[in-house]
Amino acid sequence: MVELMIGISRDLPEEDEIQVEKKKKKPLDLEQAMPLLLQAFEDGNIDTIINPRLLKVYDPKEATRMVTCATACVNHLAHRRPRMSQMVVPLNTWVLISYFKLAYNILRRPDGTFDRHLAEFQDRRVPANRTPVDGVFSFDVIVDRATSLLTRVYRSAPGGEAHPSIVEFERPLSTEIVPVIIFFHGGSFAHSSASSAIYDTLCRRLVGICKAVVVSVNYRRAPENRYPCAYDDGWAALNWVSSRPWLRSGRDSKVHVYLAGDSSGGNIAHHVALRAVESGIEILGNILLNPMFGGQERTESEKRLDGKYFVTIQDRDWYWRAFLPEGEDRDHSACNPFGPNGKSLEGLKFPKSLVVVAGFDLVQDWQLGYVEGLKRAGQEVKLIYLEQATIGFYLLPNNDHFYSVMEEINNFVSSNC
Amino acid sequence: MKRERPDTGGGGCSMEAGKSKMWKEEDGGMDELLAVLGYKVRSSDMADVAQKLEQLEMVMGNAQEDGISHLASDTVHYNPSDLASWLGTMLSELNPPPNFDPPAQQTQPRSITPLVESSSLYDDPSDYDLRAIPGGAICRQIEPPSTALREPKRMKPSSASSETELTRPVVLLDSQETGIRLVHALMACAEAVQQENLKLAGALIKQIGLLAVSQAGAMKKVATYFAEALARRIYRLYPQESLDSSFSDLLQMHFYETCPYLKFAHFTANQAILEAFAGKNQVHVIDFSMKQGMQWPALMQALALRPGGPPSFRLTGIGPPQPDNTDALQQVGWKLAHLAETIHVEFEYRGFVASSLADLDASMLDIRPGEAVAVNSVFELHRMLARPGEIEKVLGSIKAMGPEIVTVVEQEANHNGPVFLDRFTEALHYYSTLFDSLEGCGVSPASTQDQVMSEAYLGRQICNVVACEGVDRVERHETLGQWQTRMGSAGFGSVHLGSNAFKQASMLLALFAGGDDYRVEENNGCIMLGWHTRPLISTSAWKLAKKDPE
Repeated sequence: MVELMIGISRDLPEEDEIQVEKKKKKPLDLEQAMPLLLQAFEDGNIDTIINPRLLKVYDPKEATRMVTCATACVNHLAHRRPRMSQMVVPLNTWVLISYFKLAYNILRRPDGTFDRHLAEFQDRRVPANRTPVDGVFSFDVIVDRATSLLTRVYRSAPGGEAHPSIVEFERPLSTEIVPVIIFFHGGSFAHSSASSAIYDTLCRRLVGICKAVVVSVNYRRAPENRYPCAYDDGWAALNWVSSRPWLRSGRDSKVHVYLAGDSSGGNIAHHVALRAVESGIEILGNILLNPMFGGQERTESEKRLDGKYFVTIQDRDWYWRAFLPEGEDRDHSACNPFGPNGKSLEGLKFPKSLVVVAGFDLVQDWQLGYVEGLKRAGQEVKLIYLEQATIGFYLLPNNDHFYSVMEEINNFVSSNC
Repeated sequence: MKRERPDTGGGGCSMEAGKSKMWKEEDGGMDELLAVLGYKVRSSDMADVAQKLEQLEMVMGNAQEDGISHLASDTVHYNPSDLASWLGTMLSELNPPPNFDPPAQQTQPRSITPLVESSSLYDDPSDYDLRAIPGGAICRQIEPPSTALREPKRMKPSSASSETELTRPVVLLDSQETGIRLVHALMACAEAVQQENLKLAGALIKQIGLLAVSQAGAMKKVATYFAEALARRIYRLYPQESLDSSFSDLLQMHFYETCPYLKFAHFTANQAILEAFAGKNQVHVIDFSMKQGMQWPALMQALALRPGGPPSFRLTGIGPPQPDNTDALQQVGWKLAHLAETIHVEFEYRGFVASSLADLDASMLDIRPGEAVAVNSVFELHRMLARPGEIEKVLGSIKAMGPEIVTVVEQEANHNGPVFLDRFTEALHYYSTLFDSLEGCGVSPASTQDQVMSEAYLGRQICNVVACEGVDRVERHETLGQWQTRMGSAGFGSVHLGSNAFKQASMLLALFAGGDDYRVEENNGCIMLGWHTRPLISTSAWKLAKKDPE
């Protein structure tokens, strides 16, 4: 890669560099090339090292990434070479997710307790904002005083109005169908909240892309609140949403509800949908992004990918131990819905599902097993398998997976119109 | 390494999402995508940060299982948005630098002990807060390699997502029919006032009165106060500002007892002051908000318990003139002197009467060479915004006092916008949240009285925001972002409050009824206390910014 890009050090005569390579069979002199590479990288001017034969016709961004990769790969100290994970995500994504990984390691104590105060201190939050930003405004609602259950509602600004007044918040939706997506944030049941910046940003994007209302649920977290608290909160939020007159839309004037979530949020979406089915509340669809499922068995993907792409079996185990009732193992139906303790969905009017699985997610075998379980029960499910994706790809809009998945979600919620 | 650029004051940065320049971005080279998520990493530092992350992972992996637990329990974390400096701290914690000092400087692993031992929080107000801040207030002497940690930061006005507009937060309680109609009526009335349609406004006031009767709880009380304030504005029955200051002090004391806001304010400000006084033998606190001196017993206790013994402690308390000539300031001083004697802290006190903080001058305060000065202001600075030039004068005289630290506690709200209707709306949301948090405090008759007085305390603020104008409107609250800009422009640099202050404040709150619903939040080195997701007050700490070498 280095050779392709920069040709060769300047000491060689000016000829077609690659041909020179083949003729003279002289390996690229890394000792000479390295300082040039590093200097160019620091200066921010890669023109000095790019093969002049390219006549400066190249995409600076692509070239920069190649330089970064090349520089890193030929680094003489093997332990300083980048991990595999660094090769498959943009650098800023890698930094973000690696930071979470390490910061979260410190929060989890070996005895199963969690440093909640430090976690709250570190969580980057944003307040709700009734001033529209990029056409989306938000406000928080206390849905259940007893449990302090709060949801953050995101809506498009009505007719471009600068500051929707308080009455506008509960203005009914249009006669066009407006999907209402109840969103459960991720965090492996222990981390984050509805006001976390990463999720506030994601919810705002969903509003814009899907022309939907998003209701993000601030469910109670583990280990302080184990199963079934998160599901109870999801259920309470669903009931609240379904009974809001101002969330009705369409000519049939009803609330068009979808459930969505990433990681633990995906798991919650499944279980809330299950309760809904048993109670007759209609849900039009489930959207599960890298949903968190597991089981006692160690699957092939877990063994193969353990520790390779930000996530370890050990941390997954910790979070399940923190969420599941004491003494239960990972074949509990919350963790393993189609496992030995799961129940069959055959004959039930379960909503259609959109399940997104990342190819570098170590729990993918469980996620794929979930999809199979739905199919076996005759339920409608669409699987999107992203080979080159890691966890968290949807947090930053800097990769193709992000855009393709957003598009799929949009199609999923508009196809009922 | 990092070039300090002159502060551009308010709103000087453009954040057009379309332009993503590769190397040099308008906003100081920060990676835009991470900034939106609350993380500040310069694009040019990204590779270096990545390398440090790898390094940290390796070191953490090498440590034994509980070899990293001290990173959570003992290490003080600062400004979690700054990944580079966080990494620096973590790496130095796990790899002490070669010139690490002998055990004398190494603090033992300290557990965070709760603030209150056994005494209840609802004691007689004349019984001072004799609770010490746990010894962990003073941070470790180890400086992390990164110099960014405690440097005065270039303050940007609020977060990346709301560069030009102020954030308008709101938490709704689940709407009841009449609740919404009542709010609607209040808003309509305010709008009529805005448009000077006083006839309509008057009619709406009557309607509000009827609706309020059928309400219950916080909503009813808030509506009543706002309606009264509107009525005063409409009929020009402006409230008398010159109420006996001892009465307003009394109201504030009830507010102090009922809910944690003032205690939080005192606690967090004291943390910062303690840290700034580390290693100093003569300290002098200048308190702009003396009142009954409720903040100081705890600080004095903490100073008394300091390893190495307490410094000599001077306190200058500033307060307004008393109409009946009683020397309230001096009486407070006597009480504190008595306390100081019992805990063996060398104490000197001076009460200083001033009608306005703008009348103050550093030279009047007898600041002695060699003493470390702290200036403390709790809910006072915003009053200076009522007359042009006053805040600048006050900030200037603070600078002239040469303080080690300036602690500022303010309401987290924008009640000082130019448009009446906006102020009204903001205040309505703000005080609704505050009143909601007071509900459920009045269980016993004594605490019911506390609650009523607290509501009256807040009601006076509401009245001032809504009914008054010009120099009479002194409750000119502004947001943390606005204060940060102002302090930055005036030549102050931010001193970050860390995770130890955060944790201890969180634990303090857990002791209050409804503790779950109070939230402590870290924001750009400052700490805020709110109810549910709505921040209500903020504590920030400042020092004199170093002059730019360029």
